[in-house]
Amino acid sequence: MKSKIWMLMISIALLSLLVTACGGQATTQAPEPAEPAAPTATEAPAATEELATTEEPATTEASAGEPIKIGASLPLTGRMSEPGTAANQGYEVWAAFVNESGGILGRQVELTILDNASDQDTAVADYEKLITVDKVDLVVGPFSSFLVIPTSEVAARYGYAFVEPAGGAPDVFNRGLTNLFFAQPAPGDEQAIPFTEYILALPDDQRPSTFAVVSQDDPFTLGVMDGVKAALTEAGIELVFDEIYAPETTDFSSIAIQVADLDPDLIVGGTQLEDAVGQIRAYQEAGYQPRGAYFTTGPSLPGPFREGVGEATEGVFASISWFPEAEEFQNAEMVAKYVEMFGGEAGDIPEDVANAFTVGQVLQQAIEKTGSVDNAALIEELHQGTYETVVGPLSFDELGQPQGSFMLLQWQGETFVIVGPGDRARGEAIWPKPNW
Amino acid sequence: MHLPSWNVLIQVTIIGILTGGVYALMATGLTLIFGVMRVINIAHGAFLILSAYISYWMFTAYGLDPFLSVMVSVPILFVIGIIFQRYVLSRVKGDPGLGVLLTFAMALTLEGVMGSLWESTGRSIRTAYTSKVYALELSDLTVRLPWVRVGGLVAAAMALAAIFLFLRYTNLGRAIRATIQNRSAAQLMGVNVERVQAMTFGIGLASVAAGGALFSMIWTFNSGSHEEWISKMLSIIVLGGMGSLPGTFLAAIIMGVAESVAAVVMTSYLSPIVFYLILFITLIFRPQGLLGIKVREG
Repeated sequence: MKSKIWMLMISIALLSLLVTACGGQATTQAPEPAEPAAPTATEAPAATEELATTEEPATTEASAGEPIKIGASLPLTGRMSEPGTAANQGYEVWAAFVNESGGILGRQVELTILDNASDQDTAVADYEKLITVDKVDLVVGPFSSFLVIPTSEVAARYGYAFVEPAGGAPDVFNRGLTNLFFAQPAPGDEQAIPFTEYILALPDDQRPSTFAVVSQDDPFTLGVMDGVKAALTEAGIELVFDEIYAPETTDFSSIAIQVADLDPDLIVGGTQLEDAVGQIRAYQEAGYQPRGAYFTTGPSLPGPFREGVGEATEGVFASISWFPEAEEFQNAEMVAKYVEMFGGEAGDIPEDVANAFTVGQVLQQAIEKTGSVDNAALIEELHQGTYETVVGPLSFDELGQPQGSFMLLQWQGETFVIVGPGDRARGEAIWPKPNW
Repeated sequence: MHLPSWNVLIQVTIIGILTGGVYALMATGLTLIFGVMRVINIAHGAFLILSAYISYWMFTAYGLDPFLSVMVSVPILFVIGIIFQRYVLSRVKGDPGLGVLLTFAMALTLEGVMGSLWESTGRSIRTAYTSKVYALELSDLTVRLPWVRVGGLVAAAMALAAIFLFLRYTNLGRAIRATIQNRSAAQLMGVNVERVQAMTFGIGLASVAAGGALFSMIWTFNSGSHEEWISKMLSIIVLGGMGSLPGTFLAAIIMGVAESVAAVVMTSYLSPIVFYLILFITLIFRPQGLLGIKVREG
């Protein structure tokens, strides 16, 4: 009996070794088949690509008619495949849109997108290859801080500008790089600023005096929560309950019973979608009725959020960088192009698509302003200019941090309304929140 | 660690008991299957999520209440159970290790299939009575009883009673219990062990189907959720004594309360650890579980 168990253990171990070995091989090989398939979204014929690779790198000499080659490595497979695929769609939508409207400086855009399988080493190798072997004119960033941090170093080494769609963690900006530009409205931890500003601007007799913070253990949500706690406690609003839960938590009844017992005026949730729904349901069951409620993510995904909590959405606040109906530069065109290329409805478009599209918009305007694809000139320009994008006007500081702001949304009726900040508001906020 | 008020403690204890009832229904099939087959069905969590998805799908497509959609999911899972046991698991009989590996493969397969059918978004059914509560006034204390969880406990108790009566008073039930107690002796007495095993697997999955319907209204789930729940259910049946139905019920209530109370006395971050802490303590001091019997295996 015992020997059988040992045999089993050994065979499992061998099997898993085999599996990982195969997996490793697959990862390194993945970019190969992806390469010829990559430019399908653009109309660049394979023949011109062959020609171009044999010529001298055309980084400074902008010869008209020759396509501008832009490379990126994205997590198209592996654990980040979902946002990675969305970012890929964003890049493809942008390239198709630009090419149909005459290209940049009269040149078409040709994308080369490699799959890094959500692996840092593969991503680094991909950018090395794009710059030194494929000799692309420009590179754009991968998805998430995890991959942006190592790959931006590669771009810096070769003097390439690195506009990226999804790396906003503090570690992205504290390495002294001057070639990196984060194409979202603001760093992640500043997301709740429009909300705290709204709360602090309330008249004294309506202002909440206590608040609770219930957050998932995640660098993004905790960063946002730190910002909220600092801003509200500094203004004299008392933090009466501060709880962090594991990301896989699904049952919030114990937390909600404690919150209900303390009955704070304001509830601030550091959430993704599922836990925002779970928290609200648990607060309802516990009989807790706050005067205001804010959740980081969840309310900004209208379909699933409404499905999850129904009419309890009324009056709930959240921040958002982009939504399909936003009246920002080229947003309507992007939405239409996306639906044309990938089907579905405007409401299904992930925010990551818009963030990748923003990267393209920023690059295009910078190229048009400098009149070339010279990376050094582009980097200089990107630190100075302001760019019209689907997430609003963007500019960057010396570390590449964006100088824009998130929007504040509030659920009113069957959907949400942008209620701040200032000139971007499309409606008045409701305060206090009706009972849920 | 901080001590919350009595109100909070009483309220979380009650929620813990209600939740424990649903845990009991979810874990019953696992302990039955282990009792009869000596195989830990690692796919039990995946079947739980599958039945939750069936309820979710019936609800979104046809507006069918999860308390009613069990009439669909229970027979489906019963048949899947019999087929899986008869044509897959029985091929490796005599080697429980391989059986476990097979159920693990089944769990991964189901996860993949469900992931491609329903994507990775967390789902949960919201009926008209979701988040509705009975407020029970007891002098200065108000106890809030969520409808869904009370309904869950009642349904779980009914299903468990049915399984219990079935095992006690039917021939097949007696054959199952005989097989749990001593397989060889049961076989010598003329029990068709092959058939008993297939039926047990069917019943085991039918009970998890009922559990899944309740599950779908209380918690959010996606195709990957099964990993976390199989660990919880395993802890429950180990504490209860593997193969013991009353033990599973008792252990489920204990775990439900422990988890719920730990979340307010310590932090909710640490509360899942309570499950595994209890598991370790059980394995060290009472490896046969609360109501299990010590068995010597060769």
